[in-house]
Amino acid sequence: MKPLKILHMYADMLDLYGDSGNMEIIKYRCKMRDIECIIDTYSIDSDMPDFSSYDLIYIGGGADLEQQHISEDLLKCRDGIRKAYENNTFLFLICGGYQLMGKYYRDADGNDIKGLGLFDYYTVAPESRRMRCIGNIVVRTKFTGKNVDVVGFENHGGQTHDVKTPFGEVRFGNGNCSKSHYEGYFEKNVIATYLHGPMLAKNPEIADYIISYCINRNSSENIKLKKLDDKLEKDCRQVMLDRLIK
Amino acid sequence: MNRILILIGKIIVGILRLMGRSAGNLPGIVLWHLTRGKCCKMFKIDCPIIAVTGTNGKTSVTNCIAQLFKQSGKKIIINKEGNNLDTGICSLLLKYCDMSGKVNADMLILETDESHVPVVYSQQKLDTLVVLDFFRDQLDRNGEMETLIQKINGFCKKFDGNLILNGDDPNTARLGKANPQNKNVKYFHAQPYAFATKEIFEASEGRFCPFCGQPLEYEYYQYSHIGKFLCKNCGFGNYDYYISAENINLEKHVFYADGHKYTPKLNSIYNIYNMTAVAGVAKLYNIDRKITDKVISGYTVKNGRMENFMLGDRKATLNLAKNPVGANMTLRVMNEMQGEKELLFVLNDNVADGLDVSWIWDINFSIFERVTRVVTSGTRAYDIAVRIKCSGYDADKIVVVPDLDKAVEELAKTEGRKFVIANYTAVQPTRTALKNYKGGNK
Ligand SMILES: [Zn+2]
Repeated sequence: MKPLKILHMYADMLDLYGDSGNMEIIKYRCKMRDIECIIDTYSIDSDMPDFSSYDLIYIGGGADLEQQHISEDLLKCRDGIRKAYENNTFLFLICGGYQLMGKYYRDADGNDIKGLGLFDYYTVAPESRRMRCIGNIVVRTKFTGKNVDVVGFENHGGQTHDVKTPFGEVRFGNGNCSKSHYEGYFEKNVIATYLHGPMLAKNPEIADYIISYCINRNSSENIKLKKLDDKLEKDCRQVMLDRLIK
Repeated sequence: MNRILILIGKIIVGILRLMGRSAGNLPGIVLWHLTRGKCCKMFKIDCPIIAVTGTNGKTSVTNCIAQLFKQSGKKIIINKEGNNLDTGICSLLLKYCDMSGKVNADMLILETDESHVPVVYSQQKLDTLVVLDFFRDQLDRNGEMETLIQKINGFCKKFDGNLILNGDDPNTARLGKANPQNKNVKYFHAQPYAFATKEIFEASEGRFCPFCGQPLEYEYYQYSHIGKFLCKNCGFGNYDYYISAENINLEKHVFYADGHKYTPKLNSIYNIYNMTAVAGVAKLYNIDRKITDKVISGYTVKNGRMENFMLGDRKATLNLAKNPVGANMTLRVMNEMQGEKELLFVLNDNVADGLDVSWIWDINFSIFERVTRVVTSGTRAYDIAVRIKCSGYDADKIVVVPDLDKAVEELAKTEGRKFVIANYTAVQPTRTALKNYKGGNK
């Protein structure tokens, strides 16, 4: 099997709320299955990588300041990332990464930070920095075809509008906007979400969905992933579901 | 008006006392409403105020500074841990002021919450501000760390009193440039200790120069992002140190500052930084060397900070970890020790813990050495178990026991050295559970 190639963008700047943990989890779940996993990093002023050569591009979330720092640099990568996306590279985007793939992010002072415009949504931060969507969140998703309740932690000021294909329905928490019905953005090769935690920790199905997509993305055979013992992860999620959904 | 407010405040304090309760924050909260947020303004304070702020170490440093003055024969007022918001400080002053609001003391030493520094000291003149460090552990309450630093930076722009800053923390040291007119900015520093590293060891923030955005270059990291850094582009980090901890030897509990030998009881690099800040304040206020020595050498803590317990004949060391830095520190101490050991990790997610437990993913568990078993407990016992598992630790050696008493029993089942880490609201219940352990099989 070819190694799984991951590009972790701005790992040094966008790693709020344990977001880098998502990479640790993917690496762990690959290792348990003897799938080689190569994680390259890209940051401001790195040499321009060949985005399409990666199976997965991952971007986490950061504070406003960091997001401003990277937005200009990210725009330089626009064509490369778009091409990769069209060539079936998986895009896994958390919080800031999610916002910056949309049309724009308007910060609390009304300044627009240009997004890549890969997708149609846009994000507006409320004028008051105190207004944030913070807390545990449960989202009912269907990415596997079946209902999967995904549990994470959201902490965002930005309100994301005009999402045509959300990641899931909010069962507890806020989602794309304060008290909204939907959370995140989804396509077969895109999961963009506000969920931190890191979000894969309690939701191993998502990690496996991404890994499975990646190892099969340019091949005709449908390689099935070896099952892992996920008892701890599932118990972990159940504890939170029992607490939040009643 | 002031007199009426003071009277109201004192009446509330009195009523609470009659009811057998300590004043806490309540009188301050009432006055906060009556004064529209200016509850610290009505006091007349003639003596100098020293404030201590930062994410970690506030309580230790505040207590030590208070001791410096107390043992010098000064009449001091100090706030208790937790009462460090404007309302808490107001409640404290209500107890000590006369009916005109005059506070009678030689010195006020106030632990002050990071976000309340601008609030309180726009109302009262501050003599010295000590800033220890900034780590992101209070994001839930304060928005983002950057906002918090901006707030204090805004205060520092207009502040011309003494500013004692951790020169090895870029998040803190940047405050020294807020007011170029201020001639009283002083940095404390520590030379590398035995376990300092060339590469960053634990996830952290502040890796970029706050002034020009270029990556900061480190000569060494002590822990997390604390270390000797420099921005090669704009020179940030290049300043003279007011006081430096030198020849640090944790094994022998020794460090030197200003040519003087100190022998602290607590042997963590984290404590060395705190004590260097204390030595800096002592130097600034010309405290007698003997007194400084006594305070720094005598300082030790209870309350779950490297506190030892006996589980039958097995020694267990408990340490509070409010954030990855604290947890990483404990793991370091644990690793630096020979022999096998077991770890109990108690993780809660109560409001005071900040609800969010994702910080556990910034703990570097891959450094585990000779850890033969892990027991996890608390309201988020499973989260910490998953975290440790995904670091590559054998899942079969992890036991999840959410109930604390049962978790301690589980820990005590086996022989050998034990370590316990508990986060903020978990620490007191964990102490109780460790103390209550009677041993034997129930
Ligand atoms: Zn610079």
